Amino acid sequence: MKFIDSNLDPWQAAGSDDAPGAPVQPAANLLLDLAQWRSLRADWPADLPVGLKLANDADVEEIAADLSRFAVVALHFPKWVDGRAYSQAHLLRARYRFAGQVRATGDVVVDMLPLLQRSGFDAVVLRGDQSVDIAKRTLGFFPAYYQGDVLVTRPHFGRVAA
Amino acid sequence: MYQYTEFDRQFVHQRAAQYRDQLERNLAGTLGDDEFRPLRLQNGWYVQRHAPMLRIAVPYGEISSKQLRALARIAREYDRGYAHFTTRQNCQFNWIPLDRSADVMDLLASVDMHGIQTSGNCIRNITSDGHAGIAPDEAVDPRPYAELLRQWSTLHPEFAFLPRKFKIAITGAAEDRAAIAWHDIGLQLKKNAAGEVGFKVLVGGGMGRTPIVGTEIREFLPWQQILVFIEAVVRVYNRYGRRDNMYKARIKILVKAEGQKFIDAVNAEFANILEHDVDGAAHLLPQAEFDRVAKSFALPAGVAERAAGGAPDFDAPIAFARWLERNVHAHKLAGYRAVTLSLKRAGQAPGDATADQLDAAAAIAERFSHGELRVTHDQNLLLPWVHQSDLQALWKAARDASFATPNIGLLTDMIACPGGDFCALANARSIPIAEEITQRFAEIDELYDIGDIDLHISGCINSCGHHHSGHIGILGVDKDGKEWYQVSLGGSDGSTISGNAVPGKVIGPSFAADEVADVIEALIDTYRDQRDPSELFIDTVRRIGLDPFKASANSVRRSTALAQTS
Repeated sequence: MKFIDSNLDPWQAAGSDDAPGAPVQPAANLLLDLAQWRSLRADWPADLPVGLKLANDADVEEIAADLSRFAVVALHFPKWVDGRAYSQAHLLRARYRFAGQVRATGDVVVDMLPLLQRSGFDAVVLRGDQSVDIAKRTLGFFPAYYQGDVLVTRPHFGRVAA
Repeated sequence: MYQYTEFDRQFVHQRAAQYRDQLERNLAGTLGDDEFRPLRLQNGWYVQRHAPMLRIAVPYGEISSKQLRALARIAREYDRGYAHFTTRQNCQFNWIPLDRSADVMDLLASVDMHGIQTSGNCIRNITSDGHAGIAPDEAVDPRPYAELLRQWSTLHPEFAFLPRKFKIAITGAAEDRAAIAWHDIGLQLKKNAAGEVGFKVLVGGGMGRTPIVGTEIREFLPWQQILVFIEAVVRVYNRYGRRDNMYKARIKILVKAEGQKFIDAVNAEFANILEHDVDGAAHLLPQAEFDRVAKSFALPAGVAERAAGGAPDFDAPIAFARWLERNVHAHKLAGYRAVTLSLKRAGQAPGDATADQLDAAAAIAERFSHGELRVTHDQNLLLPWVHQSDLQALWKAARDASFATPNIGLLTDMIACPGGDFCALANARSIPIAEEITQRFAEIDELYDIGDIDLHISGCINSCGHHHSGHIGILGVDKDGKEWYQVSLGGSDGSTISGNAVPGKVIGPSFAADEVADVIEALIDTYRDQRDPSELFIDTVRRIGLDPFKASANSVRRSTALAQTS
C-alpha cells in the first residue's frame, strides 16, 4: 500500500476550484473528472499520462473501454462509512483487470486500510489528521480471511483444498 | 454443532486483538468517538441508556453449555447479573463499562464466540430455525449452509459499509420458524424432483417504518451457487441502495422501487461474476467444502434412534402434562424430543436470564441434551437432543430452575424488545407492558383456553420486537414526551397457523400506557365471544375483521378519552 503525500504527489487535479468547468489543456499527470475526460478523450495524446477521478455513484462499466488509457483511477469517499467505492475498486480489478493505480481519496481514515487493500486499492491519500504509522499497523491483525478478495482471489476453503 | 477449526479460533482472537487496539486508541484520544462508533458497532458494542450494550453472536442459534457458562460469567463479573436473548438468536448485555469491553471480547474468543457484525451497516449474524437439524418437517438441514454463509460474510471487505444493516435468515423445514420473508434475504432450502438441493431465495423483506415482505427472486438456486448469488445481491445493493435517507436505505426500498429492474440487475451481476471476474467461480461451493462443514453437524456421540422408553408416571401431575403439550416438540429421531426452556415468566423480562439461570440451563443441557442448546427466534432456549425417557426428570429440573412455564406458543410467550428501559432508540418501554400482560394472564387455564397466539411488542418503529408480524402487535410511540402504544392486529411471521407473512393493521389512535393491558384483555374477550369452536385468535380476526376488535379496544380508553376531550 502506497501512502501518498499530497505535497510530493505528481498527480494534480485538472482545472481550478475557482473556475469549475473551465477548459483543460492536456498535460502530464492530470487527474480528470469524468466530464473532463469525456470532452478530451478523443484528443488526449496517447503518450501523456492521465488519471481519472470517479465519483462514488458513477458506474465503472461506463469507463471500462477507456481503462487502458488511465495510469491512475482515484475513487472517492465523501464519508468514510459510505462503502460504494469498495465495489467500484473490486470491479476495476476483478472484472476489468485494471492494472494501474487505484487510490482512495476523501474521508480516508486508518481503520479502512484492511478493507481498501483487499478491495483492490493500492494507494491512499489519508485524511489530514490520520497517522501513516497507525494505518500500517491496522494492516497487521489478520494473516488470512475466509472469503477471497482482490489480492487473494480464492476463498480460504479453495486455498486449503488446493 | 459446528466445531471451530484452528483457523476459526485464531480468527476470533485476531478480531479481539484488533478491537483492543481500536479501543485503546479511542481511550487514548487518537481515535475520535465518531470514528470509533462504526468500528465498535461491528463488534457488537452500542452505547445505550446506561452503558454500552454488547450484542454477542450466537450463529444460527446454536450454543454449547460451555459457551452458556461463559455468558453467565460475563453477566456476573462484567454486567449486573443477567443477559437478554433476542429474536435474532443473539445475546445482549447492558451494563458493561466500555473500558472493559476488550477483556470481554477476549473471554468470548476463548469459548469460540464473538460480536462480529452483530450491529452496523453490514451483513449481520445469520439466523435460522431453532429446530434446525432436528425437525421432522425438515427437507434439508440448514446449519451447514448457515455456517458457510457465516464464514463468507465474516469481514467481507467490500460489504462492511452498506447503505444499511443486512439480515439473512435460512430454513430447511416446511414450517417457517425463522420468519424468512421478513429478512433482507430469506432462504428456504428444498429438494427438487431429482433430489438435488437448492434454495428458494427471497429478497427485500424487512420491518421498520415500511414493513415489506420479501419478493421471490429465485425459485430454485442450486446450493453450490449461494455465495456467488448473495454476492451479486449485496453488490447491487451496495452500489444502488439509497444513502440519502436512513429510513429508505434498506434493500426492501430498492427492491420495491426498481422491481423487475432490480431482479435483472442481480441476475446480470451473478452472470458477470461467474463469466468475467478473476476467480469468479472460486466461490462456487465444492462438495468437499460442504462435507467438511457438514461433518460438524453429525448427530452428537451416543445419539441414535431408540425405542420410546417408558410412559410417564400414571399419576404425573397435570402441570407435567401441560408442559409435555406446550414445551415438548416432535423430533426427527425416534425416541427423541426437542424441549423449550421457557424464558417467559412473571417477574423477568421476556428473553432474560440471570447468571444463575444461565448456569442452570448449561447444567440441564449437559445432563439431558449432550451439552447443546439453541436460542430460538421467540427468545427462548431449546434443548435439541432430549431422550423421551428423560422427560419427567427434565421437567423437574426445568421447573426447579424456573424454565418450565408451560406457555410456549401461548399469549405470555410473547416477543418483546428491551425497550425504553435500556434502549436509547426506544420511544417507550416494552418491559412494563410485557410484565403487566404476563400478570394479567397468569391463570394457566385461561391461557390454554385462548390458545395459540403471537403477541409481539416493540418499543419503537425499528421493530426489534417484530410488532408488525404479531397476531397482536404493540408499538411504542412518543407523543409530547409521553409513552403511547399503537396496537395492530392480524400480522403474520409466515408460520402455518399465522398464514403468509403480512404486517398487521393498526386498530386506531395510540393508547396510553395504563390502558394497554386492558386493551389486550378487551381484544381477547372479543375473540372468546366471537370465535367459532376451535378457531384460533388470528382466524377470528381474519373472519370477522377489525371493527369488533376496534370497538372493544376503544371501550376501555380512559386516559386517551380524557386527553381527547380536554
